Amino acid sequence: MFTTQTLWNFFYVLIFPGALFTAVVGLFLAGIDRKVIAHMQHRIGPPIRQPMYDFFKLMGKETIVPARANKIVFLGAPVVGFISLAVIMLFIPIMGFTAFSGNADLIVILYLITIGGVALIVGGSSSGSPYAGIGISREMVTMMSYELPFVLVLLAVARKVGGDSLVFSMEAIAEWQAVNGSLAFHWSMIPAALAMLLVIPAEVGMQPFDVAEAETEICEGPLIEYSGAALGMFKLNTAMKMAIMTGLFTSLFFGGFRTGMMWSDVALFVIICMVVTLVCITTIHAVTARLKIEHLFKFFWTFVSGLALASLILAWMGL
Amino acid sequence: MFKKLIDKSAAKSPWIYHINTGSCNGCDIELVACLTPRYDAERFGFKLAGTPRHADIVVISGPVTSQSKERLIRTIAQVPEPKCVVTVGSCPQSGNVFKGSYSVEAPVEQYVHVDVAVAGCTPKPEAIMEGLYKAALLLEKKREAMHK
Repeated sequence: MFTTQTLWNFFYVLIFPGALFTAVVGLFLAGIDRKVIAHMQHRIGPPIRQPMYDFFKLMGKETIVPARANKIVFLGAPVVGFISLAVIMLFIPIMGFTAFSGNADLIVILYLITIGGVALIVGGSSSGSPYAGIGISREMVTMMSYELPFVLVLLAVARKVGGDSLVFSMEAIAEWQAVNGSLAFHWSMIPAALAMLLVIPAEVGMQPFDVAEAETEICEGPLIEYSGAALGMFKLNTAMKMAIMTGLFTSLFFGGFRTGMMWSDVALFVIICMVVTLVCITTIHAVTARLKIEHLFKFFWTFVSGLALASLILAWMGL
Repeated sequence: MFKKLIDKSAAKSPWIYHINTGSCNGCDIELVACLTPRYDAERFGFKLAGTPRHADIVVISGPVTSQSKERLIRTIAQVPEPKCVVTVGSCPQSGNVFKGSYSVEAPVEQYVHVDVAVAGCTPKPEAIMEGLYKAALLLEKKREAMHK
């Protein structure tokens, strides 16, 4: 039973919108981020392919499993995170192209992204380090903080596109935008877009919201005991999250553009992802210092959730 | 297939872990100065790591006090292979002005293998950068030796 469709599915999962594409775009975005932030600080900065060097170097290093760690969970967690993140890109329409589509894509994406975060928590807690303990408790609070506005943003979009009902299919959202114009140009969705821009750095674990991995106070938190290939996988997961979150933003709010050709669609998608990275990750990283965990929680549950809620109410009123 | 790429990457992304073994803070400041916009060590891929498990290069400053000797040996044992040890300043090499003190167990070579030693009290950031860069090149050689 080896049909052409099965082969295509393998191709989708392993290469084009799946693992390889997400990893390459993620590492590229991470490299752009480091280069631009260096220029903002009047430095030359590392080459754009630096995250790839980091990844391959970590693959070649010795992987130490601490004596107190649970070996299977410790080494399995980064792989589980990688697999769940590798399939998310299949559900995100790259302008006109969607690999898989169903009726509840948004909900599936929400759960798969959460698995990526939970993998970090499980891996950290299996390492048996007290620093990792502090790190995972902070990571959990961070996840609770950004999940609420994130869900509200998705609901607002679903309501706006659905009209009278909720539409959770990414393909339907992309089609709606192709007809009615991108959602970022509908004024009632602008607060939701702003909220999403603040959710992205928290999801990726970037500067003002990197309380869980604060390397100067709790020695990288959940990652403290990781080394070698397992650490490399976690670094890759972070880069892939960057591609996925900016890609999700692109297809939710700028999904209306069509160029007609596959390769130019992909190029446009990557360029918009890059701009989103520069706006919401690099710039915020360059101008802010790390928040305390309680401030982060308060910020997301009041200000960011308020923005998302405003959009949801406007969408509910039919604007 | 990736063997060559991995070997090459070892020299391109050396992450530093800094251990202060009773230093007067002079060398520590100069090491941090390497990361500032003026010298910008990050253009070679250098990055300060938060834990010894992530490190490739261990930078030691200070004359190895009796209290810190045990911790130094334990910390370096936690660093995964391939690794390099760089000493910054004259203190770890000879004890410098602290030599002869009852609490200083100076030449650090007695306890750990040192790959690159940068002398001076304190060495200039340029000298530290050169030392670190030499260590990064050594990392590639060590990585190549690992699969022989």
